[in-house]
Amino acid sequence: MDLELYQFSTTTVLLMLAAFYGGTYLLTLLIRKKKESTDAFMVANERIGIGLASSSMTATWIWAASFYAAATSGYTYGVSGPLHYGLWGALMILFIYPFGQRFRKLAPKAHTLGELIHARHGSSSQLILAISNVLGSTISLMVNFTAAGALVSVLSPLSFQTGVLIAGFGVLAYTFWSGFRAAVFTDFVQLVALMAIAVVIIPAVLFAMGGPSAFVTGLEGLTLEQQSFFSKTAFLEQGAPFFFAVLAYAIGNQTISQRLFAVDKEHIKSTFITATLGYGAIVIGLGMIGLLALSAGIQPMDGDTNNLIPQVVSTYLSPIMIALFFILVIGSLSSTADSDLCALSAIIMADVYGKNIAKDNPDPKRMLLIGRVTMIVATMVGIIFASFALDILVMLVFVGALWGAIVFPVIASVFWDKVTNAAFTWSVVIAMIMFCLVRFELIPLTGAIAYFFEFISSIGAAVVIGLMAFAFLGIRLGVIFAIVAGVASMYYTADFLRDYTVLMASLTAFGVSTIVCTVMSLMSKAPRFDFRTISEEVQSYDNQ
Amino acid sequence: MDMKVAFYTFYILMWPALTLGVLFYICRAVWRDVKEAKKNNKGLV
Repeated sequence: MDLELYQFSTTTVLLMLAAFYGGTYLLTLLIRKKKESTDAFMVANERIGIGLASSSMTATWIWAASFYAAATSGYTYGVSGPLHYGLWGALMILFIYPFGQRFRKLAPKAHTLGELIHARHGSSSQLILAISNVLGSTISLMVNFTAAGALVSVLSPLSFQTGVLIAGFGVLAYTFWSGFRAAVFTDFVQLVALMAIAVVIIPAVLFAMGGPSAFVTGLEGLTLEQQSFFSKTAFLEQGAPFFFAVLAYAIGNQTISQRLFAVDKEHIKSTFITATLGYGAIVIGLGMIGLLALSAGIQPMDGDTNNLIPQVVSTYLSPIMIALFFILVIGSLSSTADSDLCALSAIIMADVYGKNIAKDNPDPKRMLLIGRVTMIVATMVGIIFASFALDILVMLVFVGALWGAIVFPVIASVFWDKVTNAAFTWSVVIAMIMFCLVRFELIPLTGAIAYFFEFISSIGAAVVIGLMAFAFLGIRLGVIFAIVAGVASMYYTADFLRDYTVLMASLTAFGVSTIVCTVMSLMSKAPRFDFRTISEEVQSYDNQ
Repeated sequence: MDMKVAFYTFYILMWPALTLGVLFYICRAVWRDVKEAKKNNKGLV
Protein backbone atom coordinates (compact mmCIF):
# COMPACT_ATOMS: atom_id res chain seq x y z
CA MET A 1 0.00 0.00 0.00
CA ASP A 2 1.55 3.35 -1.06
CA LEU A 3 0.49 6.47 0.82
CA GLU A 4 0.90 10.17 0.09
CA LEU A 5 1.86 12.79 2.67
CA TYR A 6 -0.43 15.60 3.79
CA GLN A 7 0.83 19.08 2.86
CA PHE A 8 0.49 22.16 5.06
CA SER A 9 0.60 25.57 3.38
CA THR A 10 3.78 27.61 3.72
CA THR A 11 1.98 30.10 5.97
CA THR A 12 0.68 27.38 8.32
CA VAL A 13 4.11 25.80 8.79
CA LEU A 14 5.81 29.15 9.32
CA LEU A 15 3.14 30.10 11.88
CA MET A 16 3.59 26.79 13.74
CA LEU A 17 7.38 27.20 13.81
CA ALA A 18 7.07 30.84 14.89
CA ALA A 19 4.63 29.86 17.65
CA PHE A 20 6.94 27.06 18.86
CA TYR A 21 10.27 28.88 18.80
CA GLY A 22 8.77 32.29 19.67
CA GLY A 23 6.87 30.79 22.61
CA THR A 24 9.96 28.93 23.82
CA TYR A 25 12.05 32.09 23.57
CA LEU A 26 9.46 34.07 25.57
CA LEU A 27 9.50 31.34 28.24
CA THR A 28 13.22 31.80 28.75
CA LEU A 29 12.64 35.49 29.50
CA LEU A 30 10.93 34.34 32.71
CA ILE A 31 14.24 32.99 34.08
CA ARG A 32 16.71 35.32 32.37
CA LYS A 33 19.24 37.12 34.54
CA LYS A 34 21.22 40.11 33.34
CA LYS A 35 24.39 38.58 34.76
CA GLU A 36 24.68 34.80 34.49
CA SER A 37 27.37 32.97 36.45
CA THR A 38 29.41 30.19 34.85
CA ASP A 39 27.99 27.63 37.30
CA ALA A 40 24.43 28.63 36.43
CA PHE A 41 25.23 28.64 32.70
CA MET A 42 26.73 25.11 32.82
CA VAL A 43 24.93 23.22 35.61
CA ALA A 44 22.28 25.57 37.08
CA ASN A 45 24.18 25.73 40.40
CA GLU A 46 23.80 21.96 41.04
CA ARG A 47 20.36 22.23 42.63
CA ILE A 48 17.75 21.30 40.01
CA GLY A 49 14.69 19.58 41.54
CA ILE A 50 13.44 16.14 40.55
CA GLY A 51 10.61 17.40 38.29
CA LEU A 52 12.71 19.63 36.07
CA ALA A 53 15.70 17.26 36.13
CA SER A 54 13.74 14.16 35.11
CA SER A 55 11.81 16.02 32.42
CA SER A 56 15.03 17.49 31.08
CA MET A 57 16.76 14.09 31.11
CA THR A 58 13.82 12.50 29.27
CA ALA A 59 13.45 15.31 26.74
CA THR A 60 17.17 15.33 26.04
CA TRP A 61 17.39 11.58 25.51
CA ILE A 62 14.43 11.62 23.11
CA TRP A 63 15.57 13.02 19.80
CA ALA A 64 13.92 12.94 16.42
CA ALA A 65 15.81 9.74 15.60
CA SER A 66 14.18 8.00 18.57
CA PHE A 67 10.75 7.98 16.94
CA TYR A 68 11.91 7.18 13.46
CA ALA A 69 14.35 4.47 14.55
CA ALA A 70 11.88 2.85 16.96
CA ALA A 71 9.23 2.79 14.22
CA THR A 72 11.81 1.41 11.76
CA SER A 73 12.62 -1.31 14.29
CA GLY A 74 8.91 -2.15 14.69
CA TYR A 75 8.44 -2.19 10.92
CA THR A 76 11.52 -4.35 10.30
CA TYR A 77 11.42 -6.82 13.19
CA GLY A 78 7.71 -6.93 14.10
CA VAL A 79 6.23 -7.12 17.59
CA SER A 80 9.56 -7.19 19.45
CA GLY A 81 11.12 -4.42 17.36
CA PRO A 82 10.01 -1.35 19.38
CA LEU A 83 11.11 -3.09 22.60
CA HIS A 84 14.56 -3.80 21.19
CA TYR A 85 14.99 -0.11 20.45
CA GLY A 86 13.24 1.62 23.36
CA LEU A 87 13.98 -0.72 26.24
CA TRP A 88 17.74 -0.65 25.85
CA GLY A 89 17.70 3.09 25.24
CA ALA A 90 15.80 3.50 28.51
CA LEU A 91 18.28 1.31 30.36
CA MET A 92 21.07 3.62 29.23
CA ILE A 93 19.54 6.23 31.53
CA LEU A 94 18.98 3.80 34.39
CA PHE A 95 22.44 2.24 34.48
CA ILE A 96 24.30 5.53 34.70
CA TYR A 97 22.88 6.69 38.02
CA PRO A 98 24.91 4.44 40.39
CA PHE A 99 28.06 5.64 38.64
CA GLY A 100 26.67 9.16 38.63
CA GLN A 101 26.34 9.08 42.40
CA ARG A 102 30.04 8.16 42.55
CA PHE A 103 30.94 11.04 40.17
CA ARG A 104 29.02 13.50 42.36
CA LYS A 105 30.65 12.18 45.52
CA LEU A 106 34.14 12.57 44.07
CA ALA A 107 33.55 15.93 42.37
CA PRO A 108 30.46 17.70 43.74
CA LYS A 109 31.37 20.95 41.97
CA ALA A 110 32.10 19.47 38.52
CA HIS A 111 30.51 20.72 35.32
CA THR A 112 31.76 17.97 33.02
CA LEU A 113 32.98 14.42 33.50
CA GLY A 114 36.16 15.58 31.78
CA GLU A 115 37.00 17.83 34.73
CA LEU A 116 36.84 14.83 37.05
CA ILE A 117 39.05 12.81 34.71
CA HIS A 118 41.46 15.77 34.45
CA ALA A 119 41.81 15.81 38.24
CA ARG A 120 42.26 12.03 38.24
CA HIS A 121 44.66 11.66 35.32
CA GLY A 122 45.56 14.92 33.53
CA SER A 123 44.98 16.44 30.13
CA SER A 124 45.32 13.56 27.66
CA SER A 125 42.61 11.41 29.28
CA GLN A 126 40.40 14.43 29.80
CA LEU A 127 40.74 15.53 26.19
CA ILE A 128 39.89 12.04 24.90
CA LEU A 129 36.64 12.30 26.81
CA ALA A 130 36.07 15.87 25.63
CA ILE A 131 36.74 15.02 21.98
CA SER A 132 34.36 12.04 22.09
CA ASN A 133 31.70 14.29 23.58
CA VAL A 134 32.24 17.01 21.00
CA LEU A 135 31.94 14.40 18.25
CA GLY A 136 28.78 12.92 19.74
CA SER A 137 27.05 16.23 20.33
CA THR A 138 28.00 17.59 16.90
CA ILE A 139 26.58 14.48 15.22
CA SER A 140 23.48 14.81 17.37
CA LEU A 141 23.05 18.45 16.37
CA MET A 142 23.43 17.54 12.72
CA VAL A 143 20.91 14.69 12.96
CA ASN A 144 18.35 16.86 14.73
CA PHE A 145 18.66 19.73 12.27
CA THR A 146 18.44 17.20 9.42
CA ALA A 147 15.25 15.81 10.92
CA ALA A 148 13.79 19.33 11.10
CA GLY A 149 14.64 19.96 7.45
CA ALA A 150 13.21 16.61 6.38
CA LEU A 151 9.97 17.15 8.33
CA VAL A 152 9.41 20.66 6.96
CA SER A 153 10.18 19.59 3.39
CA VAL A 154 7.85 16.56 3.40
CA LEU A 155 4.90 18.28 5.10
CA SER A 156 5.07 21.68 3.36
CA PRO A 157 6.26 23.38 0.17
CA LEU A 158 9.22 24.83 2.12
CA SER A 159 12.70 23.54 1.29
CA PHE A 160 14.84 21.22 3.41
CA GLN A 161 17.37 24.01 3.98
CA THR A 162 14.66 26.34 5.27
CA GLY A 163 13.66 23.80 7.92
CA VAL A 164 17.29 23.28 8.94
CA LEU A 165 17.91 27.03 9.24
CA ILE A 166 14.74 27.74 11.24
CA ALA A 167 15.45 24.91 13.70
CA GLY A 168 19.11 25.94 14.07
CA PHE A 169 18.46 29.60 14.72
CA GLY A 170 15.33 28.87 16.78
CA VAL A 171 17.23 26.62 19.21
CA LEU A 172 20.21 28.98 19.37
CA ALA A 173 17.96 31.99 20.11
CA TYR A 174 16.40 30.58 23.27
CA THR A 175 19.53 28.79 24.58
CA PHE A 176 22.12 31.48 23.89
CA TRP A 177 21.81 33.73 26.95
CA SER A 178 20.98 31.47 29.91
CA GLY A 179 22.58 28.24 28.60
CA PHE A 180 21.79 25.14 30.65
CA ARG A 181 19.17 26.96 32.75
CA ALA A 182 17.20 27.80 29.62
CA ALA A 183 17.59 24.25 28.26
CA VAL A 184 16.30 22.64 31.46
CA PHE A 185 13.39 25.06 31.85
CA THR A 186 12.21 24.74 28.25
CA ASP A 187 12.76 20.96 28.29
CA PHE A 188 9.98 20.67 30.86
CA VAL A 189 7.46 22.54 28.70
CA GLN A 190 8.59 20.72 25.55
CA LEU A 191 8.33 17.34 27.28
CA VAL A 192 4.84 18.02 28.62
CA ALA A 193 3.70 18.86 25.07
CA LEU A 194 5.55 15.85 23.67
CA MET A 195 4.05 13.41 26.19
CA ALA A 196 0.53 14.80 25.88
CA ILE A 197 0.68 14.48 22.09
CA ALA A 198 2.15 10.95 22.27
CA VAL A 199 -0.65 9.90 24.64
CA VAL A 200 -3.22 11.02 22.05
CA ILE A 201 -1.51 10.03 18.80
CA ILE A 202 -0.73 6.34 19.54
CA PRO A 203 -4.35 5.25 20.25
CA ALA A 204 -5.57 7.56 17.46
CA VAL A 205 -3.39 5.78 14.90
CA LEU A 206 -4.38 2.32 16.21
CA PHE A 207 -8.10 3.00 15.84
CA ALA A 208 -7.80 5.02 12.62
CA MET A 209 -6.09 2.02 11.02
CA GLY A 210 -9.02 -0.26 11.75
CA GLY A 211 -8.55 -0.97 15.45
CA PRO A 212 -7.01 -3.93 17.30
CA SER A 213 -8.92 -6.58 15.30
CA ALA A 214 -7.57 -5.31 11.98
CA PHE A 215 -4.08 -5.15 13.50
CA VAL A 216 -4.22 -8.77 14.72
CA THR A 217 -5.53 -9.91 11.33
CA GLY A 218 -2.62 -8.14 9.66
CA LEU A 219 -0.14 -9.79 12.04
CA GLU A 220 -1.04 -13.21 10.65
CA GLY A 221 0.51 -12.23 7.32
CA LEU A 222 3.92 -11.55 8.88
CA THR A 223 6.87 -13.93 9.16
CA LEU A 224 7.14 -16.10 12.27
CA GLU A 225 10.15 -14.04 13.42
CA GLN A 226 8.11 -10.83 13.11
CA GLN A 227 5.26 -12.37 15.10
CA SER A 228 7.55 -13.51 17.91
CA PHE A 229 8.39 -11.53 21.04
CA PHE A 230 11.63 -13.52 21.18
CA SER A 231 12.91 -12.88 17.67
CA LYS A 232 16.55 -13.92 17.42
CA THR A 233 17.10 -11.65 14.41
CA ALA A 234 15.66 -8.64 16.24
CA PHE A 235 17.91 -9.32 19.22
CA LEU A 236 21.10 -9.84 17.27
CA GLU A 237 20.65 -7.05 14.74
CA GLN A 238 18.89 -4.40 16.85
CA GLY A 239 18.71 -5.27 20.55
CA ALA A 240 22.17 -6.65 21.27
CA PRO A 241 24.21 -3.78 19.76
CA PHE A 242 22.05 -1.37 21.77
CA PHE A 243 22.24 -3.47 24.93
CA PHE A 244 26.02 -3.50 24.83
CA ALA A 245 26.05 0.22 24.04
CA VAL A 246 23.99 0.99 27.17
CA LEU A 247 26.95 2.05 29.30
CA ALA A 248 28.83 3.56 26.36
CA TYR A 249 26.08 6.05 25.54
CA ALA A 250 25.58 6.96 29.18
CA ILE A 251 29.25 7.40 30.08
CA GLY A 252 30.28 9.05 26.84
CA ASN A 253 27.57 11.68 26.70
CA GLN A 254 28.05 15.09 28.30
CA THR A 255 24.30 15.80 28.03
CA ILE A 256 23.79 13.06 30.65
CA SER A 257 26.73 13.91 32.89
CA GLN A 258 25.73 17.59 32.81
CA ARG A 259 22.36 16.62 34.32
CA LEU A 260 24.08 14.30 36.79
CA PHE A 261 26.07 17.28 38.03
CA ALA A 262 23.07 19.63 37.92
CA VAL A 263 20.39 17.70 39.79
CA ASP A 264 20.11 18.08 43.56
CA LYS A 265 22.33 15.18 44.73
CA GLU A 266 19.54 13.77 46.94
CA HIS A 267 17.40 13.25 43.82
CA ILE A 268 19.83 11.55 41.42
CA LYS A 269 18.24 8.11 41.78
CA SER A 270 14.58 9.15 41.51
CA THR A 271 15.37 11.50 38.62
CA PHE A 272 17.00 8.81 36.54
CA ILE A 273 14.35 6.16 37.32
CA THR A 274 11.59 8.59 36.27
CA ALA A 275 13.45 9.47 33.08
CA THR A 276 13.96 5.76 32.32
CA LEU A 277 10.22 5.11 32.54
CA GLY A 278 9.35 8.26 30.58
CA TYR A 279 11.78 7.56 27.77
CA GLY A 280 10.80 3.90 27.48
CA ALA A 281 7.07 4.59 27.42
CA ILE A 282 7.23 7.35 24.80
CA VAL A 283 9.73 5.74 22.44
CA ILE A 284 8.35 2.20 22.56
CA GLY A 285 4.83 3.64 22.20
CA LEU A 286 5.73 5.64 19.09
CA GLY A 287 7.66 2.63 17.77
CA MET A 288 4.31 0.82 17.73
CA ILE A 289 3.33 3.03 14.77
CA GLY A 290 5.99 1.18 12.73
CA LEU A 291 4.51 -2.14 13.83
CA LEU A 292 1.00 -0.96 12.88
CA ALA A 293 2.34 0.11 9.47
CA LEU A 294 3.89 -3.34 8.98
CA SER A 295 0.66 -5.07 9.93
CA ALA A 296 -1.31 -2.86 7.50
CA GLY A 297 1.11 -3.63 4.63
CA ILE A 298 2.23 -0.02 4.19
CA GLN A 299 5.31 0.54 2.01
CA PRO A 300 7.63 3.34 3.19
CA MET A 301 7.73 6.27 0.79
CA ASP A 302 10.85 6.20 -1.44
CA GLY A 303 11.85 3.01 0.44
CA ASP A 304 12.96 5.15 3.39
CA THR A 305 11.63 3.82 6.72
CA ASN A 306 12.23 7.24 8.31
CA ASN A 307 9.13 8.31 6.35
CA LEU A 308 6.91 5.72 8.07
CA ILE A 309 5.59 7.79 10.98
CA PRO A 310 4.95 10.98 8.94
CA GLN A 311 3.30 8.80 6.28
CA VAL A 312 0.97 6.98 8.70
CA VAL A 313 0.08 10.13 10.66
CA SER A 314 -0.58 12.21 7.56
CA THR A 315 -2.70 9.52 5.91
CA TYR A 316 -4.85 8.32 8.78
CA LEU A 317 -5.21 11.34 11.07
CA SER A 318 -6.87 14.74 10.78
CA PRO A 319 -4.89 17.91 9.93
CA ILE A 320 -5.04 18.98 13.59
CA MET A 321 -3.42 15.71 14.67
CA ILE A 322 -0.82 16.09 11.92
CA ALA A 323 -0.06 19.57 13.28
CA LEU A 324 0.33 18.07 16.78
CA PHE A 325 2.69 15.44 15.36
CA PHE A 326 4.67 18.23 13.69
CA ILE A 327 5.06 19.99 17.05
CA LEU A 328 5.96 16.67 18.72
CA VAL A 329 8.89 16.11 16.36
CA ILE A 330 10.05 19.74 16.44
CA GLY A 331 9.84 19.67 20.26
CA SER A 332 11.82 16.45 20.56
CA LEU A 333 14.60 17.52 18.22
CA SER A 334 14.83 21.01 19.73
CA SER A 335 15.07 19.74 23.32
CA THR A 336 17.97 17.50 22.31
CA ALA A 337 19.64 20.15 20.17
CA ASP A 338 19.56 22.73 23.00
CA SER A 339 21.15 20.14 25.32
CA ASP A 340 23.86 19.48 22.74
CA LEU A 341 24.60 23.21 22.52
CA CYS A 342 24.88 23.36 26.31
CA ALA A 343 27.07 20.23 26.39
CA LEU A 344 29.41 21.60 23.73
CA SER A 345 29.67 25.00 25.40
CA ALA A 346 30.40 23.39 28.81
CA ILE A 347 33.14 21.20 27.30
CA ILE A 348 34.84 24.15 25.60
CA MET A 349 34.37 26.38 28.68
CA ALA A 350 35.52 23.91 31.35
CA ASP A 351 37.59 21.21 29.64
CA VAL A 352 39.35 23.30 27.02
CA TYR A 353 39.47 26.86 28.39
CA GLY A 354 39.19 26.31 32.16
CA LYS A 355 41.53 23.35 32.54
CA ASN A 356 43.92 23.55 29.60
CA ILE A 357 44.18 27.20 28.48
CA ALA A 358 43.55 29.18 31.68
CA LYS A 359 45.09 26.37 33.80
CA ASP A 360 42.38 26.48 36.50
CA ASN A 361 42.51 30.27 36.76
CA PRO A 362 39.94 31.43 34.20
CA ASP A 363 38.21 34.77 33.89
CA PRO A 364 34.48 33.94 34.46
CA LYS A 365 33.33 36.70 32.07
CA ARG A 366 35.59 35.44 29.30
CA MET A 367 34.49 31.91 30.07
CA LEU A 368 30.82 32.83 29.54
CA LEU A 369 31.71 34.59 26.30
CA ILE A 370 33.54 31.46 25.12
CA GLY A 371 30.47 29.37 25.98
CA ARG A 372 28.16 31.59 23.96
CA VAL A 373 30.53 31.81 20.99
CA THR A 374 30.79 27.99 21.08
CA MET A 375 27.01 27.80 20.77
CA ILE A 376 27.07 30.01 17.68
CA VAL A 377 29.88 28.03 16.06
CA ALA A 378 28.26 24.68 16.93
CA THR A 379 24.95 25.80 15.42
CA MET A 380 26.69 26.85 12.21
CA VAL A 381 28.57 23.55 12.03
CA GLY A 382 25.35 21.60 12.69
CA ILE A 383 23.51 23.50 9.97
CA ILE A 384 26.30 23.00 7.43
CA PHE A 385 26.72 19.29 8.23
CA ALA A 386 22.96 18.74 8.10
CA SER A 387 23.15 18.82 4.32
CA PHE A 388 24.88 15.39 4.42
CA ALA A 389 22.13 12.78 4.70
CA LEU A 390 23.21 9.76 6.85
CA ASP A 391 21.29 6.70 7.96
CA ILE A 392 20.17 7.52 11.50
CA LEU A 393 20.03 3.99 12.89
CA VAL A 394 23.48 2.97 11.63
CA MET A 395 24.98 6.18 13.00
CA LEU A 396 23.52 5.60 16.45
CA VAL A 397 25.13 2.18 16.68
CA PHE A 398 28.43 3.54 15.36
CA VAL A 399 28.66 6.38 17.89
CA GLY A 400 27.68 4.01 20.69
CA ALA A 401 30.48 1.66 19.77
CA LEU A 402 32.92 4.56 19.59
CA TRP A 403 32.09 5.50 23.16
CA GLY A 404 32.48 1.85 24.18
CA ALA A 405 36.24 2.27 24.19
CA ILE A 406 35.97 4.82 27.00
CA VAL A 407 33.60 2.99 29.36
CA PHE A 408 35.95 0.72 31.30
CA PRO A 409 38.81 3.25 31.65
CA VAL A 410 36.40 5.91 32.99
CA ILE A 411 34.62 3.63 35.46
CA ALA A 412 37.85 1.97 36.59
CA SER A 413 39.43 5.39 37.08
CA VAL A 414 36.80 6.48 39.61
CA PHE A 415 36.88 3.25 41.66
CA TRP A 416 40.40 1.81 41.30
CA ASP A 417 43.37 3.81 42.55
CA LYS A 418 45.89 1.87 40.39
CA VAL A 419 44.66 3.16 37.00
CA THR A 420 47.18 5.52 35.38
CA ASN A 421 46.91 8.23 32.76
CA ALA A 422 48.98 6.14 30.33
CA ALA A 423 46.74 3.11 30.90
CA PHE A 424 43.65 5.23 30.24
CA THR A 425 45.01 6.88 27.11
CA TRP A 426 46.59 3.85 25.45
CA SER A 427 43.64 1.60 26.21
CA VAL A 428 41.30 3.97 24.37
CA VAL A 429 43.67 4.49 21.42
CA ILE A 430 44.31 0.75 20.91
CA ALA A 431 40.62 -0.09 21.39
CA MET A 432 39.66 2.46 18.73
CA ILE A 433 42.15 0.98 16.26
CA MET A 434 40.87 -2.56 16.86
CA PHE A 435 37.26 -1.34 16.68
CA CYS A 436 37.90 0.23 13.26
CA LEU A 437 39.60 -2.96 11.99
CA VAL A 438 36.44 -4.93 12.76
CA ARG A 439 33.74 -2.35 12.09
CA PHE A 440 35.03 -1.47 8.63
CA GLU A 441 36.33 -5.01 7.95
CA LEU A 442 39.81 -3.71 7.19
CA ILE A 443 41.12 -7.25 7.77
CA PRO A 444 39.46 -10.51 6.66
CA LEU A 445 37.25 -11.75 9.52
CA THR A 446 37.88 -15.43 8.85
CA GLY A 447 39.81 -18.29 10.43
CA ALA A 448 42.07 -17.56 13.39
CA ILE A 449 41.56 -13.77 13.12
CA ALA A 450 37.81 -14.19 13.47
CA TYR A 451 38.24 -16.54 16.44
CA PHE A 452 40.58 -13.98 18.05
CA PHE A 453 38.05 -11.16 17.76
CA GLU A 454 35.24 -13.43 18.96
CA PHE A 455 37.34 -14.17 22.04
CA ILE A 456 38.02 -10.45 22.63
CA SER A 457 34.30 -9.74 22.10
CA SER A 458 33.42 -12.29 24.77
CA ILE A 459 35.64 -10.41 27.19
CA GLY A 460 33.86 -7.23 26.10
CA ALA A 461 30.47 -8.84 26.83
CA ALA A 462 31.75 -9.99 30.21
CA VAL A 463 32.91 -6.45 31.03
CA VAL A 464 29.55 -4.90 30.10
CA ILE A 465 27.50 -7.42 32.11
CA GLY A 466 29.98 -7.24 34.97
CA LEU A 467 29.91 -3.43 35.13
CA MET A 468 26.11 -3.38 35.01
CA ALA A 469 25.90 -5.89 37.87
CA PHE A 470 28.64 -4.03 39.76
CA ALA A 471 26.62 -0.79 39.50
CA PHE A 472 23.72 -2.22 41.47
CA LEU A 473 25.07 -5.29 43.29
CA GLY A 474 28.68 -4.49 44.20
CA ILE A 475 32.10 -5.80 43.24
CA ARG A 476 31.73 -9.50 44.19
CA LEU A 477 28.52 -10.12 42.28
CA GLY A 478 29.86 -7.93 39.47
CA VAL A 479 32.85 -10.26 39.04
CA ILE A 480 30.65 -13.37 39.23
CA PHE A 481 28.28 -11.99 36.59
CA ALA A 482 31.27 -11.07 34.40
CA ILE A 483 32.76 -14.58 34.60
CA VAL A 484 29.45 -16.30 33.85
CA ALA A 485 28.72 -13.89 30.98
CA GLY A 486 32.23 -14.31 29.57
CA VAL A 487 32.10 -18.12 29.59
CA ALA A 488 28.58 -18.19 28.12
CA SER A 489 29.59 -15.65 25.49
CA MET A 490 32.66 -17.66 24.44
CA TYR A 491 30.47 -20.74 24.01
CA TYR A 492 27.80 -18.98 21.95
CA THR A 493 29.85 -16.52 19.89
CA ALA A 494 32.63 -18.84 18.63
CA ASP A 495 32.31 -19.29 14.85
CA PHE A 496 29.14 -17.18 14.91
CA LEU A 497 29.65 -13.53 15.92
CA ARG A 498 31.84 -12.83 12.86
CA ASP A 499 28.62 -12.51 10.82
CA TYR A 500 27.47 -9.58 13.02
CA THR A 501 30.33 -7.11 12.60
CA VAL A 502 28.54 -4.11 14.18
CA LEU A 503 28.02 -6.03 17.40
CA MET A 504 31.48 -7.61 17.31
CA ALA A 505 33.14 -4.22 16.75
CA SER A 506 31.34 -2.70 19.74
CA LEU A 507 32.31 -5.58 22.00
CA THR A 508 35.88 -5.51 20.71
CA ALA A 509 36.16 -1.88 21.83
CA PHE A 510 34.99 -2.83 25.33
CA GLY A 511 37.23 -5.89 25.52
CA VAL A 512 40.44 -4.33 24.20
CA SER A 513 40.19 -1.19 26.34
CA THR A 514 39.58 -3.32 29.44
CA ILE A 515 42.52 -5.65 28.79
CA VAL A 516 44.98 -2.85 27.97
CA CYS A 517 43.83 -0.60 30.83
CA THR A 518 43.97 -3.45 33.38
CA VAL A 519 47.35 -4.84 32.30
CA MET A 520 49.04 -1.42 32.12
CA SER A 521 47.61 -0.39 35.50
CA LEU A 522 48.74 -3.60 37.18
CA MET A 523 52.24 -3.24 35.70
CA SER A 524 52.54 0.39 36.76
CA LYS A 525 54.81 1.26 39.68
CA ALA A 526 53.17 4.69 40.13
CA PRO A 527 51.90 5.50 43.65
CA ARG A 528 48.23 4.80 44.33
CA PHE A 529 45.89 7.71 43.71
CA ASP A 530 44.19 9.57 46.57
CA PHE A 531 40.56 10.16 45.47
CA ARG A 532 40.10 12.93 48.07
CA THR A 533 42.22 15.26 45.93
CA ILE A 534 39.59 15.36 43.16
CA SER A 535 37.09 17.50 45.06
CA GLU A 536 39.87 19.94 45.97
CA GLU A 537 40.86 20.38 42.34
CA VAL A 538 37.39 20.51 40.74
CA GLN A 539 35.84 23.76 41.96
CA SER A 540 33.46 26.51 40.89
CA TYR A 541 35.02 28.99 38.43
CA ASP A 542 32.96 31.87 39.81
CA ASN A 543 34.77 31.84 43.16
CA GLN A 544 38.25 32.08 41.66
CA MET B 1 -13.28 -9.96 22.90
CA ASP B 2 -10.80 -12.46 21.50
CA MET B 3 -7.91 -13.01 23.96
CA LYS B 4 -5.31 -12.37 21.27
CA VAL B 5 -6.94 -9.07 20.30
CA ALA B 6 -7.19 -8.07 23.98
CA PHE B 7 -3.52 -8.92 24.52
CA TYR B 8 -2.28 -6.87 21.57
CA THR B 9 -4.58 -3.97 22.47
CA PHE B 10 -2.98 -3.96 25.91
CA TYR B 11 0.51 -4.32 24.42
CA ILE B 12 0.07 -1.23 22.23
CA LEU B 13 -1.93 0.96 24.60
CA MET B 14 0.09 0.28 27.77
CA TRP B 15 2.80 2.65 26.52
CA PRO B 16 0.64 5.77 26.18
CA ALA B 17 -0.93 4.85 29.55
CA LEU B 18 2.52 4.67 31.16
CA THR B 19 3.45 7.93 29.45
CA LEU B 20 0.38 9.56 31.01
CA GLY B 21 1.41 8.29 34.45
CA VAL B 22 4.94 9.65 34.14
CA LEU B 23 3.58 12.95 32.79
CA PHE B 24 1.37 13.28 35.86
CA TYR B 25 4.28 12.46 38.20
CA ILE B 26 6.63 14.98 36.54
CA CYS B 27 4.03 17.76 36.59
CA ARG B 28 3.33 17.12 40.28
CA ALA B 29 7.05 17.15 41.06
CA VAL B 30 7.57 20.44 39.21
CA TRP B 31 4.57 21.96 41.00
CA ARG B 32 6.20 21.01 44.33
CA ASP B 33 9.53 22.45 43.14
CA VAL B 34 7.78 25.73 42.28
CA LYS B 35 6.16 25.93 45.72
CA GLU B 36 9.47 25.10 47.41
CA ALA B 37 11.32 27.75 45.39
CA LYS B 38 8.70 30.38 46.27
CA LYS B 39 8.89 29.43 49.95
CA ASN B 40 12.68 29.81 49.95
CA ASN B 41 12.53 32.93 47.76
CA LYS B 42 14.78 31.32 45.14
CA GLY B 43 14.47 30.82 41.39
CA LEU B 44 13.08 27.52 40.07
CA VAL B 45 16.18 26.97 37.96
